[in-house]
Amino acid sequence: MSNIRNFCIVAHIDHGKSTLADRILEITDVVHTTGNEQILDGMDLERERGITIKASPVRIPYRSKEGKDYILNLIDTPGHVDFNYEVSRSLKACEGALLLVDATQGVEAQTIANAYLAIDGDLELIPVINKIDLPNARIDDCKLQIEDMIGIPADDALLVSAKDGSGVSELLEATIKRIPPPKGFDDEPLSCLIFDSQYDSYRGVIPHIRVFSGTIKPGDKILFKSNQKIFQVEEVGYFGLRLTRCEKLAAGDVGYLAAIIRDVQDVNVGDTIISPNFPDTIAISGFRRSQPMVFCGIYPVNTNDYEKLKFALEKFVLGDSSIVFEKENSAALGHGFRAGFLGMLHMDITLERLKREYEQEIIATMPTVIYKVLTTAGKEMIIDNPSKFPTINEIDSIEEPIVKARVITPNDSVGPVMELSMAKRGKMLAMEYPDERRTSISFEFPLAEIITDYYDRLKSVTRGYASMDYDLVGYKNADLVKVDILVNGDPVDALSFISERQSTVPKSKSLVHKLLKLIPRQQFKIPLQAAIGGKIIAREDITPYRKDVLAKCYGGDITRKRKLLEKQKEGKKRMKIVGSVEIPQEAFLSLLKVEEELD
Amino acid sequence: MIPNYIDSLLKEARKYLGVKFDTIYLGGGTASLLNNNVPRLMNCLKINFDLASILEATIEANPDSITVNFLNMAISSGFNRISIGVQSFNDYELENVGRIHSSTQAINAIKHAKKAGFKKISADLILGLPGQTIESLKRSIEVLICLDVNHISTYCLSIEEGTLLSKNIPTNLPTEEDQVKLYEYAQEMMYNNNLIQYEISNFAKPGYECLHNINYWHGGEYIGLGPAAASHLNGKRFKNKDDLFAYLTDPTGQIDEDEQLDLKRKAAEEIILRLRLLKEGANIKMLEERFGYRNIKEIFTRIDKLVSINSLTFDGVSYRLPKNKVLVSNPILTDILGD
Repeated sequence: MSNIRNFCIVAHIDHGKSTLADRILEITDVVHTTGNEQILDGMDLERERGITIKASPVRIPYRSKEGKDYILNLIDTPGHVDFNYEVSRSLKACEGALLLVDATQGVEAQTIANAYLAIDGDLELIPVINKIDLPNARIDDCKLQIEDMIGIPADDALLVSAKDGSGVSELLEATIKRIPPPKGFDDEPLSCLIFDSQYDSYRGVIPHIRVFSGTIKPGDKILFKSNQKIFQVEEVGYFGLRLTRCEKLAAGDVGYLAAIIRDVQDVNVGDTIISPNFPDTIAISGFRRSQPMVFCGIYPVNTNDYEKLKFALEKFVLGDSSIVFEKENSAALGHGFRAGFLGMLHMDITLERLKREYEQEIIATMPTVIYKVLTTAGKEMIIDNPSKFPTINEIDSIEEPIVKARVITPNDSVGPVMELSMAKRGKMLAMEYPDERRTSISFEFPLAEIITDYYDRLKSVTRGYASMDYDLVGYKNADLVKVDILVNGDPVDALSFISERQSTVPKSKSLVHKLLKLIPRQQFKIPLQAAIGGKIIAREDITPYRKDVLAKCYGGDITRKRKLLEKQKEGKKRMKIVGSVEIPQEAFLSLLKVEEELD
Repeated sequence: MIPNYIDSLLKEARKYLGVKFDTIYLGGGTASLLNNNVPRLMNCLKINFDLASILEATIEANPDSITVNFLNMAISSGFNRISIGVQSFNDYELENVGRIHSSTQAINAIKHAKKAGFKKISADLILGLPGQTIESLKRSIEVLICLDVNHISTYCLSIEEGTLLSKNIPTNLPTEEDQVKLYEYAQEMMYNNNLIQYEISNFAKPGYECLHNINYWHGGEYIGLGPAAASHLNGKRFKNKDDLFAYLTDPTGQIDEDEQLDLKRKAAEEIILRLRLLKEGANIKMLEERFGYRNIKEIFTRIDKLVSINSLTFDGVSYRLPKNKVLVSNPILTDILGD
């Protein structure tokens, strides 16, 4: 076991994690590539967006300069602010982490956040400065920032270029020298952490495990601590580039097991696997389970596809247990689900993957946060869906989630960043200067204000240079109201939204105007109204269309005209009929665009 | 070039030897440009087909190319109906949309056509021309009525993408609301003058309806000759390629799209076409006999729903599209189509 090293790479987004991982795999002959393909970013979406979404582990055999053989288990991690959860569970399987910093960018918000996660997890942290081959690399600045902003010594930071490979073999040597081997003994009772899982249609649910003590092999009976379910192990193995079967996994190993687990719900990431012979073995603690912060409704476009969507979601959460979902009914959209995500990017990516990889035709409703409502009857309600908001006279007070955010921006963009943040009800808490070029600003925000487009807009006002990270700090009283949208006099639950009282009217006006353009004209006049309680605060009318006719239809036109009508029919099918009005799918997300235009 | 084209038409026509016709329509483009090739074309057709029982033979012409000579030639070749592209009797409106004829030419064309012996004369009018008002439309229709034109087709101006007009949209283009008013005004004025709206875009004195076109709206069969011409034969709809030069070299090998609908879609198509005939409508008995009640039961269910919301009418014999729904007929017709 003394020859095993379990480690991960943590970094801010774009600081070169995946490239470094590729280089390590090449130098150790795990893969032979020539291109700049990122091997561990397996999903199309990851390659398209240039980000890692899902952490993927890989086992690397390594012979040190002294000629000793090691097994390195490298776990690639995502770098985006939304995916702290993925990072934190990967960390739990490791004894050490490489803290990667881009020499041209310096320490960024997510570098700090990830470094703290690693420090909290008692991991040995090795600072690594990347991209030293670039002419604008500022190595000394980086070292200073690591010491000042993170508080760990950086004298012995490793200098690498993941791109050209320089420094990577030194980095591997440092990994075996500085990261401690796993502790724990093979002859102790079994204790494994489930840090991830995947689904295989032949082998069922496959938990990814880190063995802390004991051994596990085919034929063994295992017990899941959280639900007391017992399974018999069919197969164990480690992560080559594919799942690679082996005889057994022992203390310190990272690998997987298959035990014909059919029910997705049986496998909980963070759960401890023990031996039924030692049922009192204590659960592995301390792994941070983050709460979903952003919620939205997901509905099948075609009401009959509810079951298919349910199955897709169940399969999906196997690979991403940070998503929660439960059944929900909407008067407008029928049966669907309310799903919770870690953040907006997480939501976007999930919806996109459901569409692409799971071929689901879905309508997503406006994202929202969790509100706490105290009713006049003295009851506290947890509300993750505007349509469940109590009526005005039932509400005593409302609390909304508050986050503390750290934004690091170039000095010349401080003005626009402040302006943007104030428009989002941000309260400045502190301002620091990590180096002479940049300013670090701490804000307090209502989470609802930053979930939609704050991050994108921050990037755009700073030409991509700003970085940010945030943490939920608690709940605060807020003056909020629920706005109902009425289409042709009928409230459409999936369009209601919660807004701070002050910006309600402009937001409502803008939304109603947006809907006016999105909902096609119909044969009758359709009033679009926004209302608080019974009071209308915005209104526009969709005028009826007066002319939709095929005037000329002679011998040469018949086929073409029939096809035209068939196309109209197809278009109609993609709409949701609410009351007597056909509403296109895009309408349900139109509030997102409203926010963009208003601030 | 034109003689070659006539040769090609005849070559293509010979593909269909033995087929019997009730009507002929020479149009689609400007037939009046054919000039003295018209008699040659008709003579050759007469040699190959039995045209003795032809009920109606229409020739299409634009006012600027109509001469007394052309009209006489058309009559002696056997044509008994003429369709004239009048568009408007307001020179300002005509100029605005780039028509090369004047209102005087249009009036003369109609007068000469009558004199030459045409009993059935049709004129096209465009609604929604830039600058057009109810007043100017009223005058255009008045002129037609005074000239005793017994068939009028009206179309709303549609600005097609890629045309000159679409790049330079006139500011005085009537709004959709104005177009609706123009249309409703025309509808009423024609009605008051015994021009019956027998189809969505066509008005005629009783007995002067266009038989050739009615066949289209009955879902009937026909043969189209020439590039881009469409045919409906033996249950199949097909169309020639839109390539004049290819047509000239190989007039019989141009079939491009062809489609044979299954019974249900065929029935839906025919009902949609028949509903265009506002007066006649779609006769339920006839539909049942043609398609079999069981095969089109679901279509009837959809139609009955439309009747229940007054989008269609039913008098126990036929379904009809009510006059006041003509302008919003597309969504009604799409509801008839199956999934």
